[in-house]
Amino acid sequence: MTRLIYSLIALSGLIAQTGSATELQQGEVRPAAYDARANIPTGLTREKAIRQIPAINPGEYFVPPEVGDIPTSKYGDMVKLGRNIFIDTQHYAKRYVGNGLNCSNCHLQEGRKPFAGPLWAAYPMYPEFRNKTRDVVTYEKRVQDCFRFSMNGIAPTLDSPEIKAITAYSHWLSKGAPINKELPGRGFARLSKPRDPTPVNGEKLYKENCASCHGIDGKGQKFANRGGYMFPPLWGGDSFNHGAGMSSVKDCAQFTKANMPLGKGWTLTDMEAWDVCTYIWLQDRPWDPRFGWFFNIFTPPTGGN
Amino acid sequence: MKNQKKDTAKRIVRMLGLAILSAGILTLSGCGKKSEAAREVAIAEGKALVEKGRGAVPACVACHGANGEGVEAAGYPRLAGLNSGYIEKQLKDLGRKLPPAGVVIESVAKDYSKTPRIYSDLTVFSPGLRHDEVMSSIAKKLSASDIHNVAAYYSSLPFQAKPVAADYEVLERGQDLALRGKPEYGLPACVSCHAPDGEGFGADFPPLAGQPAAYIVNQINKWQSGDRDNDNLGLMRAVADQLTDADKLNVAAYYANRSLTVKGK
Repeated sequence: MTRLIYSLIALSGLIAQTGSATELQQGEVRPAAYDARANIPTGLTREKAIRQIPAINPGEYFVPPEVGDIPTSKYGDMVKLGRNIFIDTQHYAKRYVGNGLNCSNCHLQEGRKPFAGPLWAAYPMYPEFRNKTRDVVTYEKRVQDCFRFSMNGIAPTLDSPEIKAITAYSHWLSKGAPINKELPGRGFARLSKPRDPTPVNGEKLYKENCASCHGIDGKGQKFANRGGYMFPPLWGGDSFNHGAGMSSVKDCAQFTKANMPLGKGWTLTDMEAWDVCTYIWLQDRPWDPRFGWFFNIFTPPTGGN
Repeated sequence: MKNQKKDTAKRIVRMLGLAILSAGILTLSGCGKKSEAAREVAIAEGKALVEKGRGAVPACVACHGANGEGVEAAGYPRLAGLNSGYIEKQLKDLGRKLPPAGVVIESVAKDYSKTPRIYSDLTVFSPGLRHDEVMSSIAKKLSASDIHNVAAYYSSLPFQAKPVAADYEVLERGQDLALRGKPEYGLPACVSCHAPDGEGFGADFPPLAGQPAAYIVNQINKWQSGDRDNDNLGLMRAVADQLTDADKLNVAAYYANRSLTVKGK
């Protein structure tokens, strides 16, 4: 309810921009959007980017085994099925999916990329306490939530082949990872928050940096000659619902900072990530299924595209 | 009696359906007739230019193959079945004059917090640049309508890739890069922009499958050296900066080895 009220207020333009940009000193101007060699549209020059984008040294992050090394056994078959489900959820877990996304749309590069919710860092941490459910949950139960919220679908049962396969794939990716130890690259980036985020700035940033792939309407881009999305929808009926992690501004900003635009992680400032995610959060998307009955009485359902 | 009634009802429904269907077909065929005709003309004009050349402009078929399939050995790219928007943009960027060395384009500073002005009207964005020893001089001689026609013609052509054999290990490494990139270094997979089969997507993301390996390696070299600078949001430059020489060869071999069929429009 607070979200609804806040979004109404924000949309009616009553939110004042609080504070000033702390990234810039008084009188300092942001460098050009263009410099001769590196066009990093967030106003970072190449020199600045080199200082701000963390250099990655070999061995800094856990490296999961290669796909070619999946064993030829029943276990290996389960791992392969899990990988298939993970990168093509639309096809392999069709029964349980209610939108146009795949697992690997957010868990980038087949669930291997550090700071994009890598499976090898998540799997060894379970069972763990989750604030969302205020309960200790197993990995399988956590995956069920992915289907319910992020995929806006139905949770497969704990003994279903889908859950088993995704668990097997995660288990295989975590080969050699320490149990119950926080690995570098787990989850998403950690962010500072110098001021309150503003969707006004977020909209500008979205149009400049995100719209060329995710579409100016945020509905993603579909393939012309096959089913599914080339670039996933960020809002609308085919996207994750309000109960998903990505629907919280914080999670979205942490993900965006580390991974977006694709291949240019860490080029947005922390504040820009907050801003653009606030804009995305204000858009229309399916309701949280836990509260859906309430909202569905008073609001029309979100249309697909 | 009942049956008769049912039959007449059925007939009426059928006739109504037919009427609606035929009306729909008529309106559909009427719509877009003009643009369709214009496209036909552009394709015909483009075809003439591609096959015969004009004055100082040599015929495109001399290097890009009789059906736009490119030349494997020389690394001349295929053009058949590419997105017309992409071809247009590339030709414009190839024909653009390079700024004199050492000139830095001053642009308006962006600071959203100070004033709610619309900066997109004021910011100076550099036009993308693409330099090529052979193609730049040719592209300079093309008019805007030439570029449009040539792009329309080549995008309408069908294409059938001829996979080039390569070493198994090379293909495996190329595939690993194409499907998974290098996660621990933040290098995204090729397929995440160039589409799952490397068939390309839209005007920003050209196909990789069906391109000669030498062409792909050359282009990555150009991204790295700054000879090519015309990508959307600097995405490809960020990727190219992280590719080693081995990566280039592996991934180029992998995509030259892919099969691909593009239907002509």
